[in-house]
Amino acid sequence: MPPFETTQHPKPFKQRKSLATRKHEVAGIRTKFPTKIPVIIERYQREKYLPPLDKTKFLVPQELTMTQFVTIIRNRMTLMPNQAFYLLINNSGIASMSLTMAQLYKDHKDEDGFLYMTYASQEMFGHCEPQNNR
Amino acid sequence: MNSVSPSGVQYRVGGAAHDDRPSAQSRHHNGHGPEPDAIREEPDEVDRLKAKFISAWNNVKYGWTVKSKTSFNKTSPLFLMGQSYLFNSEDEVERFRQVFVSCVWLTYRREFPQLEGSSLTTDCGWGCMLRSGQMLLAQGLLLHLLPTDWRWSDCHPLADVDFELLKPRSPSRPAGMSLPSFSSSWTSPISQRDPGSGSAEGHRRTPEQCPAARHDPQVEALHRKVVSWFGDHPSAPFGVHQLVELGKESGKRAGDWYGPSIVAHMLRKAVARTPEFHSLAVYVAQDCTVYKGDVMGLCESALTQERPESGGTGWKSVIILVPVRLGGESLNPSYIECVKNILKLNCCIGIIGGKPKHSLFFIGFQDDQLLYLDPHYCQPVVDVTQGNFSLESFHCNSPRKMNFSRMDPSCTIGFYAQTKKDFESLCSAVSEALSSSKEKYPIFTFVEGMGQNYGLEGQSAGSQDGPANIFSCNRTSRNNKRGSTDEFVLL
Repeated sequence: MPPFETTQHPKPFKQRKSLATRKHEVAGIRTKFPTKIPVIIERYQREKYLPPLDKTKFLVPQELTMTQFVTIIRNRMTLMPNQAFYLLINNSGIASMSLTMAQLYKDHKDEDGFLYMTYASQEMFGHCEPQNNR
Repeated sequence: MNSVSPSGVQYRVGGAAHDDRPSAQSRHHNGHGPEPDAIREEPDEVDRLKAKFISAWNNVKYGWTVKSKTSFNKTSPLFLMGQSYLFNSEDEVERFRQVFVSCVWLTYRREFPQLEGSSLTTDCGWGCMLRSGQMLLAQGLLLHLLPTDWRWSDCHPLADVDFELLKPRSPSRPAGMSLPSFSSSWTSPISQRDPGSGSAEGHRRTPEQCPAARHDPQVEALHRKVVSWFGDHPSAPFGVHQLVELGKESGKRAGDWYGPSIVAHMLRKAVARTPEFHSLAVYVAQDCTVYKGDVMGLCESALTQERPESGGTGWKSVIILVPVRLGGESLNPSYIECVKNILKLNCCIGIIGGKPKHSLFFIGFQDDQLLYLDPHYCQPVVDVTQGNFSLESFHCNSPRKMNFSRMDPSCTIGFYAQTKKDFESLCSAVSEALSSSKEKYPIFTFVEGMGQNYGLEGQSAGSQDGPANIFSCNRTSRNNKRGSTDEFVLL
C-alpha cells in the first residue's frame, strides 16, 4: 500500500484556531444540536497507512457507542475489517469500545468543549531501511 | 570437558547422520563456528576471519544489541509465561532456566531457499516481526501439544546473566563469565566452550541439572516437529516462506516491514489452512474487542468436522490474539500496570511488539523491565527437513530485559485456552487483569455475543437513531454543498 500524504492539514485543528474561536464554535453548535457531541478526529501525525479523512469535525449522537463510532469512521475510510485502526483519545489512550460518546465526553472533553481523537494504525517493525525501490 | 575438540568430534559424527543430536553446533557460533572446520581440515585463516567479521557485522547492522549481562533482582519476583520466580535460591534459578531455555527462539536466518517473487534468501533487517509472531505461535503450539510440565532436556546453562546472590556459590555458572556469549561468537570460539557454558556439557549435566526434564523420546520428537514447522523452507507451514505468501493478501511483499496486527492475521490464516491443526483455531480480535460468541463459534466448529484426534470433545483449542495500540507516539505509562497483570497470567503466551522499529517477543517481566526473546540475530539456515537437525539455534540461553518505557505502543497480546473451561476462566482472569489497572478504561474488552450484533447492523434492530439515519445524514450532509473541511459532519 502506498503511503499517503503525510498530513491532511499543515497544522492540527487546535493550532489552526484560537481557543476563543474554538469555544465559540462549540457554543454555537451546542445550541443548535444540544444532544450531539462535537468531536475532532485527526490523523495521527506519523500515520503512514491509513488514508486522511475528508472531514475533521463531527457531531455525534451521545448514545452512540465507541464500537459504532469506530465502524462509521472505518466505513468512511473504506477500511478492510482486518486493517488495524485505533481511535486514541487525546492522542494517548484507547477508549473502551462499549463506552458511549456521552461517557467519553464527560471524562475527556477539552477546555474548548471538543472531544479530541486521533486515529492511527499500528507501527511496522524492521531494522534497516525498507526497500522502497522494488 | 575443557577443550573444543570433543564437541567438534561429536558434531562431525552428527554430520555423518548417526547422532540425532549434533549438539556442538551451538547458536553462539552463528553457525559457521570453526570447530567443524578445525576437525575436517586446516581452515583458511583469512576466510575464517572474514566469516567472523561478516557475522559480527550482520548482527550489529540488524540490531542485535551486544550487552554485557542481564542482572536479575533477587528480591522481587520475575514473571515468565505466567509463572513467578524469586531468585533467592539456586533451585529457583534452575526452575527459571529450564522454562526460559525451553521457549522456542526464532531469529533472522540467511541462505534459505529464495522467497517466491523476490530474490531474497534472508529476512535479516525486515523479518523481525514475522519472527516474533512465529515465536508466539510456537509457544502456543508447545502448550497445545506437549505436556504442561515439558522442559527441553538438552537445555543449556544460562549465559550473560547476573543473579547477584548466587555468584559466589556457583563458580561454574555462567554468571561468573565476563564475556557475553554472543559477542564471543566473533571473538574467541574457545571462550564460550568454557566449562559452564559449553553446550555439550550442558547436555551431559542434564540428569542432575534438569530433574524435571524427563527425556521422553516421543515428546522430544514432538518438540522437534513443532520447531520444524517454523523452518525456513517453503514447505514448513509456519515458515517465513508461507507467512510471506500469506502477507501478500494484506498487500505485503518479501522485504516489507510487518506490524503486530498484520502478523496476527497471517498466523490465523496459516493455522486455519493447515489440516494438521484442525484441533486448534486462532481468533484475532478487531477493534480491541473479543466477542465471546465468535470465539465459541470458532471453537465449536470442531463439532461439525468431527475427527477422532480432536479428543472427541468437539472443542477446538484456541489462540486468541488481540492487536492493540497502547498510546500514540509512545507507550501510555498508565497501561504498564495492565501489561504486567496480563503477563502474570498463565493463559498469556506472550506479547509481540518491540521497541520502535525493532520487534521483540515479550515473555515476562521483573520490576519495570520486560523480559524478551530477540529475533535480531542472524543465523545461517538450518535444514529442518533433515530428521536430526540441530535444535540448538532454536533456543536461547541468554535472557534479556528492557524498560517498559521503551516499549512501542503497537503490539499484539496472545492467549491460549485448551478447553472450553479454560476459555471461560481465561475470560474472567483476563477481564480481571484488565480492570485492575489504574487506567480507567481497559485496553481491550470481552463482550458476550458476536461481533455482527454490535456494529451498526446491531443498532438497526434497536429503537432510536438507527444506522440508516446515520448514513442518510452522512450522504445528504449539507456540508457537502460548501465542500469545506471546516464544517461539522452530522452523524
